[in-house]
Amino acid sequence: MAYLSMGESHRRIVDYLSRFSDAVSSQDGASLKLLLSLCSSSPSLLSVADALNAFHDWTRLVNQNERYSNIGEIIVPLLRSLQSYRLGHFADSYSTFEKAANAFLQEFRNWESAWAMEAMHAIALEIRLLAEKADRELVSNGKNPEKLQGAGSFLMKVFGALAGKGPKRVGALYVTCQLFKVYFKLGTVHLCRSVIRSIETARIFDFEEFPPRDKVTYMYYTGRLEVFNENFLAADHKLTYALTHCNPRSKSNLRMILKYLIPVKLSIGILPQKWLLEKHNLVEYADVVNALKRGDLRLLRQALQEHEDQFLRSGVFLVLEKLELQVYQRLVKKIYTIQKQKDPTKAHQIKLEIIVKALKWLEIDMDVDEVECIMAILIYKNLIKGYFAHKSKVVVLSKQDPFPKLNGKPVSS
Amino acid sequence: MATERKPAATEDAKIDLFEDDDEFEEFEIDREWDDKEEGQEAIQQWEDDWDDDDVNDDFSLQLRKELESNSEKS
Repeated sequence: MAYLSMGESHRRIVDYLSRFSDAVSSQDGASLKLLLSLCSSSPSLLSVADALNAFHDWTRLVNQNERYSNIGEIIVPLLRSLQSYRLGHFADSYSTFEKAANAFLQEFRNWESAWAMEAMHAIALEIRLLAEKADRELVSNGKNPEKLQGAGSFLMKVFGALAGKGPKRVGALYVTCQLFKVYFKLGTVHLCRSVIRSIETARIFDFEEFPPRDKVTYMYYTGRLEVFNENFLAADHKLTYALTHCNPRSKSNLRMILKYLIPVKLSIGILPQKWLLEKHNLVEYADVVNALKRGDLRLLRQALQEHEDQFLRSGVFLVLEKLELQVYQRLVKKIYTIQKQKDPTKAHQIKLEIIVKALKWLEIDMDVDEVECIMAILIYKNLIKGYFAHKSKVVVLSKQDPFPKLNGKPVSS
Repeated sequence: MATERKPAATEDAKIDLFEDDDEFEEFEIDREWDDKEEGQEAIQQWEDDWDDDDVNDDFSLQLRKELESNSEKS
């Protein structure tokens, strides 16, 4: 490490303290935000961190100066946190940052206007990022990772401070989204419910007032929850909102939205254009789409097997697996159409053994009874209109609209 | 990909606990974007009238051949 003189260290620390103090007294949220963003690893903050590590007695610079008495409870743990961060001691860094964050929150509650919202948001982001680093460190040292959970608790407190009638309430959605990220990471997504309920039913909140970027993030996560719960119409609405309002330049986020939206669309009988899959590198869905178009059950199963890990990780595997019924429908429709071309008068009767034959061709081994079962399900779920003549083992199709389209609705459950 | 920090290689085994592959990236605050253009594009991204009666594709032709071969045998 380059030599840092005591004089230079002293200068840097005092400079930071002045900037912090000035930002608070002049209510400059943007400047304050920069001073809090530890994980950004900005050269400016790192240089202060080096100074702190060189000038061990720096706390007296804070404590002995009247000027910093109102921010002392925030800034001492904050700088300790920065010091630890620089040394790569993330668990320590998190703990002191949490102290600073709580002290900041206390002051924040007292400031009536929303001038410090940017700074509060910066703290919300930093505490989550620091907690993640801290938990990784704890795990690698064989200890219990509990910092991210702690960050979640802190964020709930922040949410509480913003859930009031004043101007601070428009900052609540950002904090909600940080909470979503925490809960999704911890796998405790059921905890999202209470904030969602607050946002969507509390009278103080008007969803339209929130900043667009927060609304996009919110709709993305709540859309994903709807996918997990198989509420496909709600999922379609939310994920489509996220897609249409997302920054067109956020390639990564657009891809993530589509990753969940595509299975939803497929479930309601709508297919993505090929170029869409290619543009966003979601070609794992290409064969699924082709399978649906063709009625090719073998291809669907192949596609699911080939990308099983991916689909399982994102949680869409079951959604895609359920597309089998639609693929069956399409296959039977093809058989019907082919029969109709040969002999229109008999086309509405399909022998089960023909379907067995077609499936065998697709390397799917099913006997007549199993196929009968599938046909019964298709009829029950209104994917086929008609009835099953059990004795003659024939599906008798309705003369009108025997293969009803989904028309943007999911298969009836 | 989605995560903001790449995990160290040695911790890969435990990383499953800490990952959401699809964590949304933070949007930059001070840049608003015009979403009207993208909204129009979105409409042409999907097709809902793909379920036609066309059986002239390869798959359908092969299926037809397969079904016809059956009736010849019986």
